[in-house]
Amino acid sequence: MAGRRDEQHAGGLVVAVRRYGSAVLLLLTGGAVLRISLLSDLYLRYVQAALRPYLVISGSLLMLLGVVAAVRGMSHRDHEEDHEEDHEDHEEAEDHGHSHGPRIAWLLTLPALALLLFPPPALGSYSAGREQAQLAAQGVGTFPALPAAKVLDISVAQYSSRAIYDTGHSLKGRTVRMTGFVTHGSNGAWYVTRLVVTCCAADATTSKVEIRGTESDDAPQTDTWVTVTGTWLPKGRLGTDGAWPPLLDATTVKQVRQPADPYEKR
Amino acid sequence: MQNERTVVDGLRLAVRAMVYAVLGGAALIAIATVVSVLGPMLAIDLYTPPVAAWWTVFTAVAVQGVPFLLLGTVVSAAIGAFVPERVFTRLLPRNQALAVPIAGAAGVVLPGCECASVPVASSLMRRGVAPAAALAFLLSAPAINPVVLVATSIAFPGQPKMVLGRLIASLATAVVMGWLWARFGREEWLRLPKRTQSAASSPAGMKAFVAGLQHDFLHAGGFLVLGAAAAATFNIAVPRSILDIFTGSSWLSLLLLALLAVVLCVCSEADAFVAASLSGFSPAAKLAFMVVGPMVDLKLIALQAGTFGRSFALRFSSTTWLVAVTSSTLVGWWLL
Repeated sequence: MAGRRDEQHAGGLVVAVRRYGSAVLLLLTGGAVLRISLLSDLYLRYVQAALRPYLVISGSLLMLLGVVAAVRGMSHRDHEEDHEEDHEDHEEAEDHGHSHGPRIAWLLTLPALALLLFPPPALGSYSAGREQAQLAAQGVGTFPALPAAKVLDISVAQYSSRAIYDTGHSLKGRTVRMTGFVTHGSNGAWYVTRLVVTCCAADATTSKVEIRGTESDDAPQTDTWVTVTGTWLPKGRLGTDGAWPPLLDATTVKQVRQPADPYEKR
Repeated sequence: MQNERTVVDGLRLAVRAMVYAVLGGAALIAIATVVSVLGPMLAIDLYTPPVAAWWTVFTAVAVQGVPFLLLGTVVSAAIGAFVPERVFTRLLPRNQALAVPIAGAAGVVLPGCECASVPVASSLMRRGVAPAAALAFLLSAPAINPVVLVATSIAFPGQPKMVLGRLIASLATAVVMGWLWARFGREEWLRLPKRTQSAASSPAGMKAFVAGLQHDFLHAGGFLVLGAAAAATFNIAVPRSILDIFTGSSWLSLLLLALLAVVLCVCSEADAFVAASLSGFSPAAKLAFMVVGPMVDLKLIALQAGTFGRSFALRFSSTTWLVAVTSSTLVGWWLL
């Protein structure tokens, strides 16, 4: 008797998967998308900020489709409660790939559950270290004027390209402030590093600034987020390997929390 | 007699249940023990920076792809449900040589990723469209429709030539393949699709739209996840220095990315972003990636083999790959 019940359970599971599989997958995927885009800022770890409205719309639409699929699954059950057994094969042939989703779709559970339960962290020092931030052969030139401010907030990438390529020396004499995570180089050098993301984390590239000055002796641990204030130290000839990585003479180094958007936009 | 049989059946069932219970219980206990002991250790040991970065890139590619995939499947399901297919048949001229470029250009109006275009092409063939024209449509639709072109322009900001190059090279490949089939193709290679399911063609309207949308999204979503996993693995596992070797030679890098497009199986609505992320490759190589990707990849070969037969899929895909590489080389050299 117990065996019969087990088999019924197994059969019931198969039927339930066939009937509610699409609904579960759609709800999971939609829920995961909404969780990172609508309910939190987590999407910024993966994609650029401009994608948020599309993510919210997609997530809502997927939830709606999931609810429709679940309702349809339930109405199916009411119709077919009695002649389930002889109906199964027929249903499979007729509805193949419609009421229950295609098998490949179960792969969607991987990113969906990851996002719902353990959202993967933002890329950090590991990815920054893998990529030798190469010197793009762009040639030197002048840059648009920087806004006037006592302390200038600037992105690591912006500072970096101005320090290496700007023949107008727009950084000269300015006090700048930038935020990034800490990476360490050989012989004690340490850097404020930031990843630049154009579309999604798959296209991350690295920019970094070497920190010098009095405060630089007690370098923070790798992957700590810091805000550094200081002034530009010119180095090397503009546009050559000698100018890279740019230097910053730091006056203050302050530990901060990881910003909501861990990446800089190009 | 009857009684004996029920008793024997009952006994057999009971024994089977016992065996299942013992085996299943033992397996459960073993798994529970291993997981509870090793799990925390493994979780810490395995969740190393590279693994964490893999998960981040993997979910990033998947998340990035979802809105585009959904947009594509919404439109393609709407057309599948509300636009009668005879519209396509009526618009095509009888002459195959003429029908091929028109069908290829008609791909512009069917936004959908390559997974959606295979069933559409097969239903077109069933409705009496010449296979050459339907195949040109099959190749061009996922590559040159507005959704893909918009996605491409977002992925390559400020490079309209990349969008134009993709349009021209993809269309050229589709048309050349259609003409090649019209000239050299043999009916016996093509296992013409039989009508197995009534659901896809006849019922129009809201119900078909929702069903098509659910199915297409889940199907393509599964392949998107597969592509994201492959892309993340490639991103993390392959040392950048190897890519540098290939980026050194523009010929090798073009062939490498054309092969990569086959292996990565990224949906055409998302592949421009993957191409843009392959920093360090020449624009022509990225173009080849985007031209080959929607036309030849592992999941597409599998879909075609399922729909049109294996002998067709292998011949067609290998020829398409060569034509696509040639056309993107020419267009890349001319335009980019």
